[in-house]
Amino acid sequence: MAKRSIFASISLVAIVLGLLLAVQFRVTNNFPNGIPRERTQELAGELRQLTGENETLQKEIYDLKLKLEQVNAGRQQAVQAIQSELDKAKIAAGIITVTGPGVEVILDNPKGFDPTLPAELSIIRDDDLLKVVNELRAAGTEALSLNGHRITPITEIRLAGSFINVNTKRVVPPYQILAIGNPDAMKESLTLPGGLLDYLSGDLGIEIKIKKHKELTVPAYSGDLELNYAKQT
Amino acid sequence: MWVGIVLALVGVLIGVLIGLNVPLVLPKAYAVYTSVAVLAAMDSVLGGIRTAIEDKFDHIIFTTGFFTNALLAAGLVFVGERLGIDLYLAAVVAFGVRLFQNVSLIRRHLLKK
Repeated sequence: MAKRSIFASISLVAIVLGLLLAVQFRVTNNFPNGIPRERTQELAGELRQLTGENETLQKEIYDLKLKLEQVNAGRQQAVQAIQSELDKAKIAAGIITVTGPGVEVILDNPKGFDPTLPAELSIIRDDDLLKVVNELRAAGTEALSLNGHRITPITEIRLAGSFINVNTKRVVPPYQILAIGNPDAMKESLTLPGGLLDYLSGDLGIEIKIKKHKELTVPAYSGDLELNYAKQT
Repeated sequence: MWVGIVLALVGVLIGVLIGLNVPLVLPKAYAVYTSVAVLAAMDSVLGGIRTAIEDKFDHIIFTTGFFTNALLAAGLVFVGERLGIDLYLAAVVAFGVRLFQNVSLIRRHLLKK
């Protein structure tokens, strides 16, 4: 009886010892380089610290990205504003080709007029053309051309010798004026009773045709822009 | 006597087999506990062998000594860790010294025979 309990305790102790040995063996085998415990703790502390640092840096990245986005968005808006301003200025200056709805006005000498006669004897005078241009401008036109020459803010229309010059280029009848703007408003403005059309066709006998167009192309000013005196203030 | 030795060897083998086949692996942080416990257990076993040779073997003292030594050693490590002292070194030194003492006593007994 006593022997049996002795054997039992010996077996129990032996099994537990074997178990402990095996577990210990496996643990040390799983971590073969045998990093010292102090080093492990040190590294764990370092890891914790670096993780915290990493978190704060991530937050900083997020903040900076946000700021960058805002700045970029602002810059884009500014660029867009400047671009649209520039486009408007270009259209107003007449240095780019533009399209849009508008009217076409054709002025010609009356039938039976001898085309060999010089321009100063023509019935259509430079100030007639200027009047038409002026009327169209008053009706809100945004781009004008006369026989393919863009009428810019510094364009002249005047009699020079025996021809009418536009942008220092000669133009001959028939005169075709293209005007981009509100077609109805422009046509109404020209055909007002007792207005310009009545005067030109009725009193002077000029042949005038006015056509509304849904899509007109007004060419760009083709000469050089030489600005020698006007300076920005 | 021989039955006891055979039983002990078979027991160690069974324990090793169980330990190697258990899917659970202790994390490295607990390795120091088991290592000191193993040291204490080995000391107890050698002490048991010595008492058996001296014919003073008491299985109750042996068994309780085995477990209390192992648990005490592990507890010492735990306390040492809380206090920030490498107390397990004390256990290692104490059990190591006793281990050598037991081994030398066993050797002397065997040589006397």
